[in-house]
Amino acid sequence: MKWLLDILKGKWLGHPLHPIIVHLPMAMWPGALIFDLLSKWQIGGNAMVRLSFYAISFGLVASLLAVPTGVVDWTGIKKEKPAWKIGLYHMILNLLVALLFAINLGLRMQTFREATEVAGAPLVLSVIGTGLLIGSAYLGGRMTYHYGISVARMSKDEWREIAEAGGANLPPE
Amino acid sequence: MNGARSPKPAAPIFHRSKIDMFKDFLEGKPLGHPIHPMLVHFPIGFFVLSFLLDITTFVFPKASNLVLASFWAMLLGLVTAMLAALPGFADYSDIRRDHPGKRTATTHMTLNLMAVVVYAINLALRFSADVSLRVHFFPFLLSLAGVTLLFISGYLGGRLVYDDGIGVGRHKRHLPPPRDTIYLVPPIPGADAVFVPVMAAQQLRERETLRVEIDGQVMTMAKVDNQIFAFQEFCTHRFGPLSEGKFEGFNVQCPWHNSCFDVRTGEVTNGPAKINLKTFKVEVRESKVGILLSRETKSL
Repeated sequence: MKWLLDILKGKWLGHPLHPIIVHLPMAMWPGALIFDLLSKWQIGGNAMVRLSFYAISFGLVASLLAVPTGVVDWTGIKKEKPAWKIGLYHMILNLLVALLFAINLGLRMQTFREATEVAGAPLVLSVIGTGLLIGSAYLGGRMTYHYGISVARMSKDEWREIAEAGGANLPPE
Repeated sequence: MNGARSPKPAAPIFHRSKIDMFKDFLEGKPLGHPIHPMLVHFPIGFFVLSFLLDITTFVFPKASNLVLASFWAMLLGLVTAMLAALPGFADYSDIRRDHPGKRTATTHMTLNLMAVVVYAINLALRFSADVSLRVHFFPFLLSLAGVTLLFISGYLGGRLVYDDGIGVGRHKRHLPPPRDTIYLVPPIPGADAVFVPVMAAQQLRERETLRVEIDGQVMTMAKVDNQIFAFQEFCTHRFGPLSEGKFEGFNVQCPWHNSCFDVRTGEVTNGPAKINLKTFKVEVRESKVGILLSRETKSL
């Protein structure tokens, strides 16, 4: 089991995996909203409708990988830390967003091959989904940039050497 | 927080010029989150989507509108890439010149600029080409090159955050971090106690910091409540840069994982760090501010 956890944590890459993978849904779903709006304004026609469909699908596929890598990173946070709770909200929101875009995709299934502009219900779902996603992504960013989750996790030995060379008091290894 | 010893100093008022405020905005200080890493999701995602759609045109040669869809994705990628570049430059300008991550950052920026040029050419070629069912060979090759550049560069960008801690916790601090390390040599090597004047310390503003290295000892000098304190540069948790930390009362907070230390004594006032900081004696001699470096501080 430990080997699987190490793969999901990105040890082999020297970089946590979750923040890499999330670029895809994070770009695809707000992108789908942009494409929806463009098609609504008669720009791009069916190519735009299709693009929105492909973007949502690609985002959903990528989110399948984002979930296990994210959960593994989250379980590494101690429960009493403020980042743990943020991580929990981040996860719940993301699951909700993924569900909304899955429904969104289902609604487009029949029409995307021919339609030249987005229908009402999928557009509304894109707006809600994107709004929630931005909120959730902000929380994810706070975990990294405010609470330092995964920061200096893999590079701590190198930093220790630099600190030691700089004459610092060090914690026991 | 350990504010019991003496009254907490009042928070200073920071005078910032319009340019400074614009830079603060680009660095995401009002938002509490750096902006460049937020925006880069979009060019990365859209360029990858465009590349996948290109491949799909080979796999499903009969599907219509894929070439056009790929074009639109790429166009949105280029627009968002240029949006992401601006806060990227601001972030880059605040990395200390001798920071271990500085070279990685330079490479990251160079590769990204190359990717932008590659995609601009790519788009121009596609714009002038007849819309067909399959993407042409040369634009496809450019997409392959662009995605490759992007992967390497994105990886380096991630290393900057997760290994070097660039941008982590920076929004908590009002003033920019030190631009350079000041390297000083003690005048009498090997003496029991030597006074090393630090000229730049004279001009320090409230809560401004210097990163100073004397005889292999790397330290932060900071002005808090009109006094200058000196303590080790590296946090005792994961060795984050305290010269880039936030000051609250007499505490310095590490930008990475928020450990707090009393600048007067070096004591931990808030975890995750457990070990106290090494502190250095700051003295004024002949109206010069400097560090009194003694044998004990070295061997501590």
